[in-house]
Amino acid sequence: MDAFNNFLTGTVTLFSDPIGILIFFGGVVGGMLFGAIPGVSMLTLAAILLPFTAHLSPEHGIMLFSVIYCTGVYGGAITAILFNIPGAPENAPTAFDGYPMTQNGEAGKAVGAAVMCSAIGGVASCIVMMAATAAIADWAISAFGPPEIFALVFFGLAVAASVGAKSFWKGWLSIMAGLMIAVVGLDPVGGLERYNFDMPYLAAGIHFIPTILGFFAVSEIFVQAEKKATGSYNAPKLSVDFPTFKELWQHKIAVVRSAIIGFFCGVLPGIGATLAAFMGYNEAVRWSKDREGFGKGKMEGVISSETANNAATGAAMIPLLALGLPGGALTAMMVGVFQMHDMEPGPLVFINSPDLVWVVFAAMFFANLSILLVGFLEAKTIVNLLRIPFQYLAPLILLLATVGAYAVRGLTIDVVVMFVAGVAGFFLRRSGYSVAGIVLGLILGKIGEQTFAQAMQMLHFEFSGFLGRPIALGLLIAGFITILASIYGAFFKKVPASSSAG
Amino acid sequence: MTVKKYLLNASVALAMSAIAGHAAAECATDSLPASMEGPDGYPERALTMIVPYGPAGGSGQVAQAMAEAVTGLTDVSINRDHKPGGSGTVGMTAYMAAPADGYTVLEHIDDAASAHALDSTKPNPADDLIPLVTSQITFSQIYIRTEEDRFTDWNSFVEWVKAQDGKATIANVSKEGSMERVTMKFITDATGMQIQQISFDKGAPRYGALAGGQVDALFEQPGDVRSFLDAGKFKPILTILKEAPDAFADVPDLVDAGLDFEPLLRFRGFYVNAGAPEDRVEWLKWAFQKAYCQEDYQAYNESKFMTLIDSYRDTDGSKELITETVAQYRAVYKTMGLEVK
Repeated sequence: MDAFNNFLTGTVTLFSDPIGILIFFGGVVGGMLFGAIPGVSMLTLAAILLPFTAHLSPEHGIMLFSVIYCTGVYGGAITAILFNIPGAPENAPTAFDGYPMTQNGEAGKAVGAAVMCSAIGGVASCIVMMAATAAIADWAISAFGPPEIFALVFFGLAVAASVGAKSFWKGWLSIMAGLMIAVVGLDPVGGLERYNFDMPYLAAGIHFIPTILGFFAVSEIFVQAEKKATGSYNAPKLSVDFPTFKELWQHKIAVVRSAIIGFFCGVLPGIGATLAAFMGYNEAVRWSKDREGFGKGKMEGVISSETANNAATGAAMIPLLALGLPGGALTAMMVGVFQMHDMEPGPLVFINSPDLVWVVFAAMFFANLSILLVGFLEAKTIVNLLRIPFQYLAPLILLLATVGAYAVRGLTIDVVVMFVAGVAGFFLRRSGYSVAGIVLGLILGKIGEQTFAQAMQMLHFEFSGFLGRPIALGLLIAGFITILASIYGAFFKKVPASSSAG
Repeated sequence: MTVKKYLLNASVALAMSAIAGHAAAECATDSLPASMEGPDGYPERALTMIVPYGPAGGSGQVAQAMAEAVTGLTDVSINRDHKPGGSGTVGMTAYMAAPADGYTVLEHIDDAASAHALDSTKPNPADDLIPLVTSQITFSQIYIRTEEDRFTDWNSFVEWVKAQDGKATIANVSKEGSMERVTMKFITDATGMQIQQISFDKGAPRYGALAGGQVDALFEQPGDVRSFLDAGKFKPILTILKEAPDAFADVPDLVDAGLDFEPLLRFRGFYVNAGAPEDRVEWLKWAFQKAYCQEDYQAYNESKFMTLIDSYRDTDGSKELITETVAQYRAVYKTMGLEVK
């Protein structure tokens, strides 16, 4: 009851202040726009705004960033669905089925599902966040150390390998290619240089954002350009028909499952929304009776991914606010906002600044709700971008993607990486490999390698140490069972793994 | 919060207030002129500051605080260009490739000195660059959880670690040749204890590992864990300095613990290419050194526990600090069996 009263107080504080309302809606629209514009992201907006938050009150500064976080994670779904360009890594699985839906003339349904499920996932995680932040944060950091996070990554990769490509081998080869790219640069433990061929810029490793832009956006433009050249290009059919309530209700289990997965991944420091979205999507495929339908335009794919990634946003605020532990780049910037006001996120925030905490909680709750309203209005207009002829749209997308790749670190090599990934993606997709698997291998490979090394140090380099950690052991066993099941499915049942647009 | 913890926090706060009051009374660069004309209209446009780390970390924040202080002093804008990756290598490489015209400056930390100590082909911050100012110098401490009951202070910690036969753990940034790993070698050699170092390159998982009981201790600088100290979650059991500052007077220092080695410091500063025109360098030195004493910058340093020891070095002082640090690292690397190029 205290939490509810605090929430009401936070809501009143938020909406009784005209400047607060202005900043709230600025954050809602800004997050959606920057999330939706190919090549830039909510991180770009946050980085631009960071110095200006010094001139805002702490409540307004933190509230602005948390609102951008909620709506930015949703905003990236729009371009993933309409143009196969995920606005951020956490929207990549949304493209697997969202873009085929667009090609099938169901763009409106895909966007509508993303709007609805982003809001549901975000609101659900906000409610849990408000009810039990401190208890969940303490549990997460004591129950999940490097061995458990490594086991989670292993499980995620095992599931991903079995659902991404046209065959068992191509699925695993795609994941392995991603893992190989992930080891370029400094090793995360000893700081030794690997595979950088004495090029200082490669010492920083291959960044996943240019890689995603290359594999998804650039290779898609090549694919469409080839179709245009060979006369087989069909412009996507424009549709603004949103899904009916009945259609969404059919996927209620997928929504609940993805919300739980998203929340769980979001609460772990350093993991966050990307793994949440992939895990949400993978589990949807695994539990579906129609696995072959995924990757060809199945609404459940969009629903699972978007519910999970928005559910991770509220969860990611838990370790940030309760412990001062940011889970990703945007929450790390929020630490910067706190520090600009001589504050540190952590246990003292709840004691010293309860008003700030509850204004932020209320703002996140209403930001997720506003996705419904503003998202539907925005989607009705943005879908019309599909009216732009391909020959005009493609150069614009390439330009924005190039700017986005360069903006990550201000390095030309990232633009080169994007185009190399684009060309590679063009040929790999033709051959039935999963570019999504490569991207997932790259993203999870970095986390997995680091946590494996840390786990080995903690367990004194004895694999048997995993036996004494029940959660890690359970996840490893689940991963091995998944691999065995996919081997059985591939070689004994003679049923090929599902194909994907990835 | 218990009364004891409250009193401890209050005493730290009081000590901080006293230091802050002292800092406000006099500052290292007060004697510099309040304004200085740039040579031939320089700077005619905004400066660029290359920062080899992300905007949210310690380097990103000090770069922002210093850039704002310089702009407040001179009205010259400074665009920060973050180039993270490779433990500062990417930013340093990009900086050395930029024109040496005095319009591009660099923020860097002591990692640049240790990188040069290990591989002399990498730029020497004292020779290839001109230090404009070193604006943050801090020390390290060993932390445990306040609620820890297996050990409560440095002596009981050492005894407990020895009894674990190498199975005790400490979280740090144990990159090859890093300040953390070298310091831990000093400590383990001096005490005879064996402890497994767990490498965390990012702060949040590192602090979470101690808070969640995944590791037994943490190696860190006090400014980075201030929120945990203020909240009474962590407590320092060893200050890695020969003489502990007043704010940590009740925490044993190296002398108290009977550890005989020269402590390595963490420092952050601002540089310009040694090939830049001399008159422009002189103006930059004035701007960055004077900005150090700007009220906002001092408040920022204070909030990060960067006023507990003398955090300021001018150009000559910075060169001396870097040269000593490089020599110290080289000597240790040789005893560690690392290949020094």
